Amino acid sequence: MSFSNIRDTLNKIFTLCLKDAKLYYFKGPTIVMGVLMPMFLWLAFTIGAGYSLIKTLPMLITISAFFASSSITPVIMPWETRQKTLEMLLSKPVTIYTILLGTALASTLFGILISLSLVCVGLLFNLIPRNLSLLILGIIISSLCYSFMGLSFAAIPTDIPADTVFLSSAVRLPLVFISGIFTPIQKLPYYILPLAFVSPLTYLSDLMRNIYYGTSFLNPLLDLAVLSLLTLVFGILALIANKATLTKRL
Amino acid sequence: MSRKLVVEAYGLTKIFGDVKAVDGVSYSVERGEIFGILGPNGAGKTTTIRITIGILPPDKGEVYILGYNVHRESVKARSFIGVVPEISNPYPDLTVWDNLMLVGRLYCIPKRTRIERAKKLLKALGIQEVCNRKAKTLSKGMRRRLLLAMALISDPNILFLDEPTSGLDVISARIIRSMLLELKKQGKTIVLTTHNINEAGMLCDRVAIMNKGRIIALGTPEELRIKFGKYVRILLSLNKEVNIDIIKDKFKDSKVVVRGKRITIICGLSDLEAVLDEITNLVKSRNLKIEEFQATGPTLEDVFVELIQGDVQ
Repeated sequence: MSFSNIRDTLNKIFTLCLKDAKLYYFKGPTIVMGVLMPMFLWLAFTIGAGYSLIKTLPMLITISAFFASSSITPVIMPWETRQKTLEMLLSKPVTIYTILLGTALASTLFGILISLSLVCVGLLFNLIPRNLSLLILGIIISSLCYSFMGLSFAAIPTDIPADTVFLSSAVRLPLVFISGIFTPIQKLPYYILPLAFVSPLTYLSDLMRNIYYGTSFLNPLLDLAVLSLLTLVFGILALIANKATLTKRL
Repeated sequence: MSRKLVVEAYGLTKIFGDVKAVDGVSYSVERGEIFGILGPNGAGKTTTIRITIGILPPDKGEVYILGYNVHRESVKARSFIGVVPEISNPYPDLTVWDNLMLVGRLYCIPKRTRIERAKKLLKALGIQEVCNRKAKTLSKGMRRRLLLAMALISDPNILFLDEPTSGLDVISARIIRSMLLELKKQGKTIVLTTHNINEAGMLCDRVAIMNKGRIIALGTPEELRIKFGKYVRILLSLNKEVNIDIIKDKFKDSKVVVRGKRITIICGLSDLEAVLDEITNLVKSRNLKIEEFQATGPTLEDVFVELIQGDVQ
């Protein structure tokens, strides 16, 4: 692949990302599942347990990064199938991978945008991260990871966005309770621990605890390394699965 | 760019479950021609086009566009083509202009060129006044014209259109047809599917007639009429009415319709000479005068019906 081919492909990915951002950031399911749901979960826990809203803000940052970046990717493919715009796109000089990467990028940026906005809110209230660059790196890598995770659900060859939203919610919601967000990993029941370590949310949650509270179960660099590995795994899974089911959409 | 054959499809086969949607279809398209794929609903036209442009992978067979394998070098091959798929839409929540710009960027067309071409196309297709409207607010005809503009923004060498005028109002259909003829004048190659026989006869240099996933005839409309047309229609207007039984007796091997002084005879090509002799005899023996005489050969529609019915039987 020549330099100009790579440049053109990146250009196309960015073009599709901008299109997705313009069209899908303000859709109902994106706002409900990506912004409102994590906020209500956090409020329910914090107010219910009588904790300070500011002190528990890192929890909101974690679950917002998770839900925001995995809320758009499951719905775009079914939506585009339903609107019959997918076939139009596929008739242009782009591959399905380019389309999927554009979607993943838009979703990642949405996750980063929401999470960093919350980091800024924390800064306004004097909630200072101990390592800002680690925080930003963690948010970027985890948003990409969760975005690809969401994209894997989009492989279901349906044109009804609710189908993929249902499945992705059925998987994502339980993860919130086993990933050391509201209860630190050390305090989780022993039979939950294997599941906790399978959950991609655990590593961002652990990283956030280290960055904001100075206490974590794993070394933060290990958290980042596992998140990077999971990004790769989910990325490959999402691309292969979506490619495999593409013809059933057309 | 000196290739004569710009589209080459060899042995395309596609099976959906138990149904062979496309069954060993081969065809080629020459530079600068309008090639039509005709067929009844469910004949396999759309599947053939979808395989040809690389949206669907074939179970068997290969397609080359300007020498590039559509499925192995899809991005390169598709960079030469513009496509108006039948089952597709512009983005309903983007404006007409934004839809055009989006596609232009996907072809990596420089901004200035993109804008110039978009303005020209919007004007040529009569949709410049709605360029700031969201695509979802457009009528079907306008949406189709927008899709055509989106296919032409890259100034492609080859244009594929799947049922370009299906379900459109007369004005939109005319605009699209005249645009296609204009593109042909500019040397573009056009491949279109249609079940509108008159449209195919009007536009196409060559047509392939498909049925049940196979190409059952291929040639220029004229060649097909000569090769497969079996009947001639003779319209005769006499100065006096003649007893219907006499006429039916004279032309008993042909189909005859009598309405007063007007007689329509549909006869086989091989019987034409005998029928003309009988007409002469009839006129002479009864001292009649022919006020109007018209003989028309088989139309493309006659050929189409003949072939499809023959194939069904």
